[in-house]
Amino acid sequence: MSDILLKIEGLHASIGEKEILKGVDLEIRKGEVHAVMGPNGAGKSTLSAVLTGKPLYEVTAGSITFLGRNLLEMSPEERSWAGIFLSFQYPVEIPGVTITNFMKAALDARRKHLGEKPLSGAEFLKLLRSKMDFVKMNPDFAKREVNVGFSGGEKKRNEIFQMAMLDPVLSILDETDSGLDVDALKIVADGVNALRTPEKSSIIITHYQKLLEYVVPDVVHVLKAGKIVATGGRELVQVIENQGFDKF
Amino acid sequence: MAKTELLYILRPGDSFQPLTVNAGAGEEYSVTFLILPGADVSVSIAADLTGAGANVRINGLYICGASERVEIKTNIRHLVPGTSSNQIVNGVAGGQARAFFDGRIIVAQDAQKTEAYQTNHNILLTEGAKVETKPQLEIYADDVKCSHGATIGRLDEQEQFYMRSRGIPEDEAKFLQLISFLSPVLEDVPEGRKEELAALVEASLRSVL
Repeated sequence: MSDILLKIEGLHASIGEKEILKGVDLEIRKGEVHAVMGPNGAGKSTLSAVLTGKPLYEVTAGSITFLGRNLLEMSPEERSWAGIFLSFQYPVEIPGVTITNFMKAALDARRKHLGEKPLSGAEFLKLLRSKMDFVKMNPDFAKREVNVGFSGGEKKRNEIFQMAMLDPVLSILDETDSGLDVDALKIVADGVNALRTPEKSSIIITHYQKLLEYVVPDVVHVLKAGKIVATGGRELVQVIENQGFDKF
Repeated sequence: MAKTELLYILRPGDSFQPLTVNAGAGEEYSVTFLILPGADVSVSIAADLTGAGANVRINGLYICGASERVEIKTNIRHLVPGTSSNQIVNGVAGGQARAFFDGRIIVAQDAQKTEAYQTNHNILLTEGAKVETKPQLEIYADDVKCSHGATIGRLDEQEQFYMRSRGIPEDEAKFLQLISFLSPVLEDVPEGRKEELAALVEASLRSVL
């Protein structure tokens, strides 16, 4: 059995006429935490968009293999069922849909896809409460409309709550640390660390090193102008901290 | 206080006899109509508010997914001081459906302290569907609270992608958006029938997705 979870080879991606990723190679093994760092406009968010199948992003060359499957042929929902989760940089507000209904729909759909019976109402609520407790989210949020009127920190916490509910194999955290105070950052980091297992992996996409003080990466990549220009261990975080991205 | 609740569920083959309401002093009318998939129908509601404290509410929705033609016409006249009206008409048009909304509010010169509100929001599910909306507000009094708003739009794709990224299939994501979009119409339906009507709306939405 291969222990490679995700393999990206020669990935080129565009939005509209503009090419943003210009040949990205990346390999992630089970259990690893990778950080992808880079300046604004490097293509960090495009990478997360392409991994999750966001419409309007076009892959023009290259391949992505996830657990041996061609990820690029899968719809966003199929990628979720396969175990990919994106914590959004800008979580979307969904008026009129409560967190409870949202998560019930998500879990029911996945269980249906896997040929499992839906959770009973009681089982579902028990799970929901335990995960809310895990990310220290006020239980009243269960009845709130998804992200509507949430503060920046509440939105990010809601992302980590959803991550805990869906228990992904590969978590992608896109600028999850931006706009968070230290307390919120610690909650996010605790969530990510607690979900860390030898079978599961994460990609932490970030501009800053803040989150990486709490979630220590195994591998660090520098993404610049659509390409990975450096790969190393956690010591690379310190190099970037001291010298910025210009060095690369 | 006299309260009249009228409910019309319009299915394929049904027609709607134009409705005329005269709301006198202290009388309250709540008119709800649901135009379900496959119904080609013209709904016409005229209401005169002729006594202080009269209140008329119109809650309507349409769900079309094929080649239906739906017309909704309201004509609300506030004729005396101190009356109120509220109209919410939301609809979903898919397939090659055509929907027209023509909503008129008249506030007569003497009808001070009128409160009149109207909203008409429409969602197009397909390129082939067409909606026209014509909200009209004619105010001849000067001490009133009135507003109207009409929109024609499509479902938000950012919301859909967010839901799909959590494993909610595309049609289910659209379904959740549409339920949320139509739910304001069902807030004021006759007591005891809310669940039944919500179930009817849900089944209708699934049939057009």
